[in-house]
Amino acid sequence: MSHLLELEGVSKRFGGVQAVDSVDFFADPGEIVGVIGPNGAGKTTLFNIVTGFYSPDAGKINFDGHNLVGLKPNQITRVGISRTFQSVRLFAAMTVLENAMVGQHTRTKAGIYGALFNTRRTVNEEQKVHTSAIESLSFFGERLTPRINSLASELAYADRRRLEIARAMATEPQLLLLDEPAAGMNPAEKEGLIELIGRLRDEKGYAIVLIEHDMPVIKGVSDRVVALDYGKKIAEGSYDEVAADPQVIAAYLGKAGSEEQQ
Amino acid sequence: MNLRSALKPGFVGGIVVVYLSAIGMVERFQDRNVITGLVGLGVVLMLVAFAITSYTAARKSDSSLLTGVAVGFISGAFVAIVTMGFEGLINAGLDVRGMFVSITPGLLETLEFGLNPVVGAFMMVVASTAVGAVSGVLVGLEYHLRSAVVFAIGITLLMSLGEPILRVTLGNLQIPTGWLYELGGLTIAGTIIVLALAFGLRWWWMSRADTRREAAAQMPEATRRTWGRASLMAAIVALVALPWIVGPFVSDVLGTVGLYVLLGLGLNIVVGYAGLLDLGYVAFFAVGAYAAAIFTSPASFLVTEEGQQFAEAGFTNLWVALPFVVIIAVVIGAAIGAPVLRLRGDYLAIVTLGFGEIIRTLVLSDWLSPYLGGAQGLTRVPAAPPSSFDLRNPQHIYYLILAFSLIAAYISYRLVDSRVGRAWAAMREDEDVAEAMGISVVRYKLLAFAMGAGVGSLGGVFFAAKIGSIFPNSFGLQVSINVLAVIILGGIGSIPGVIVGAAALVGLPELLREFGEFRLLIYGAILIAIMIFRPEGLLPNKRRQRELHEGQDLAAVDLTKEGPS
Repeated sequence: MSHLLELEGVSKRFGGVQAVDSVDFFADPGEIVGVIGPNGAGKTTLFNIVTGFYSPDAGKINFDGHNLVGLKPNQITRVGISRTFQSVRLFAAMTVLENAMVGQHTRTKAGIYGALFNTRRTVNEEQKVHTSAIESLSFFGERLTPRINSLASELAYADRRRLEIARAMATEPQLLLLDEPAAGMNPAEKEGLIELIGRLRDEKGYAIVLIEHDMPVIKGVSDRVVALDYGKKIAEGSYDEVAADPQVIAAYLGKAGSEEQQ
Repeated sequence: MNLRSALKPGFVGGIVVVYLSAIGMVERFQDRNVITGLVGLGVVLMLVAFAITSYTAARKSDSSLLTGVAVGFISGAFVAIVTMGFEGLINAGLDVRGMFVSITPGLLETLEFGLNPVVGAFMMVVASTAVGAVSGVLVGLEYHLRSAVVFAIGITLLMSLGEPILRVTLGNLQIPTGWLYELGGLTIAGTIIVLALAFGLRWWWMSRADTRREAAAQMPEATRRTWGRASLMAAIVALVALPWIVGPFVSDVLGTVGLYVLLGLGLNIVVGYAGLLDLGYVAFFAVGAYAAAIFTSPASFLVTEEGQQFAEAGFTNLWVALPFVVIIAVVIGAAIGAPVLRLRGDYLAIVTLGFGEIIRTLVLSDWLSPYLGGAQGLTRVPAAPPSSFDLRNPQHIYYLILAFSLIAAYISYRLVDSRVGRAWAAMREDEDVAEAMGISVVRYKLLAFAMGAGVGSLGGVFFAAKIGSIFPNSFGLQVSINVLAVIILGGIGSIPGVIVGAAALVGLPELLREFGEFRLLIYGAILIAIMIFRPEGLLPNKRRQRELHEGQDLAAVDLTKEGPS
């Protein structure tokens, strides 16, 4: 039981659709796991279950000694899981810096009293929040730091993706869940992303689970790949193993294979 | 320029003037002098309508002067023809006033400038064409000059319209007003002086804009902060001196404005900061007023036989009651907040709307009327001690409201840039993501409701103390809507915005009283105009302004101004 995150037989049904069907899944500290599968395979639902947006119908979820089932999303962030969203969801009317500062919320305490009387603790804490936000932003070199006072909505698309990751980093997670980080990026930017994900692991020590449709990115970063189809785990292993798996090929290329599975 | 582009605005201008005449506004306003002996307000109203239509049309065209002239001519001709038409109908012995009750001989006289119908019609066309030409020229002028001219005319009109208040105010300041005002309007000499002064000042101010901006940019942070503090102090001193300068009537209006500032600041926390559209805010206002009345009125059910010694002054005095009232309101705020935590947007608005009505209905109910007085209300709410401080005196209660408004403003100001403020902002932007960032949405929603309720209840307390008796029909939906309109008009999320919004929305109608039944028409027109031309509000939060004007000329939005808000 040395896994950082471990899912056992997790299921979720929406009406007549079995979105996730008794999936076992794990991620170890410092590991990068790629999750692939056709549209509607249940990848994002799996993320939403892990982060507490949906509660599973069945199954166990353990993270770093905590049982995650029944916890609210904000509590799960506190124990150390942070995520990005498939469609970039920044706080559009807040500045780049403020977006990153919000990430520090669970790591700080100041309430009404501190804010009203500007106590020494609040001042120190705000200083810490500021420093930590700048630190997260400067992980992306010169991409975000010159724009800290711009509104998030004023950023270019690739920078928005970067900011979303910076905001997730500001929560000081142990595990980072990235939902299609390469979507909408050009080949050069994808190269940069592969390098970035590697650095996130090496420099920050995060375990990373990413959902991605872009196979070169999956191939470039993943230590292990998990393939889902119709809510079921259909393959697991190294990229080459999974890519060669007939069920995976069937799921991506044609109906014949997957219909046999059903 | 093609004629068709002038045709439509020309007719619009003409129709507007005919409409304003036909509802009797022009004639009624003509009794009010703008420049005594020269121009009445009715004529000014017409000229302004002509000017606005020709100005907007000229701005869109390449040959502004021609367009202005054409639009002015068409509008004037339209009005002249309609006037002559009515004249003809009356001469033909038709009973025009059977249908158009406001088409009086006095009105026709105004529309003909007191001349005979044919010469009058000619004069109307000449006047409107001249106004159109001036508007056209204005469009072509260099920006600084145009701005100074418009400013000077605007200030002169305001000075003239504000005569009842300004004359009293200047009188209180021992400044003679004989040279400026005469028979309710400006004197001719006064007009020229005001025009020249306003023009000169504006010109000077604008010609120094670049130097000023540069100086502000170079100013070290510490100096800038000192300036900010100094101007804030000056503003507070001005607010403190205000009631003694403007006299009791305007002080009373200021007190009402202050109440709305307080309510606006409270609702601003809920709607502006936390993004929870609350349409039942009046509930907290009512809770504050009723709780204050129950604690302090000798008519309250809490006054018992044993408590006879209290009976003369009520159960307790206002100062003792105040913290309890706020606590009660905060608890009720949280209680109302709890069931609606899961609702968002429109659904939240509808449910809070319901809660607002529930509170009012409860007060009227048979069940609670022994305690809350039902439709008879609760009366004899005493003033707060010391007795030398007479709360019925508008100049006194103003200070009480001012003090608490300042506290509420300070609380808002401190909160917005704190961890709590950031959490609210995140929640307002995207609830799911806020939760994913570790923000307990439940907790911060409740906090927003509770704080909004606390501030709103203060408004209720002072309302009760100001009026002395409270009735359920003071707490209708209209109050919720008005408070919401205050913050939208001023600029959601902006503290100065709330103050300006309350002054415009609550103060203006009071000051427009002399316009009688046309008051609400003017008021509505102003509201619509503001929302069309400044959707972000009068004094918006800079951020929201940037959001709304994204992709437009951002240089026009002065982001360099940084002051205490």
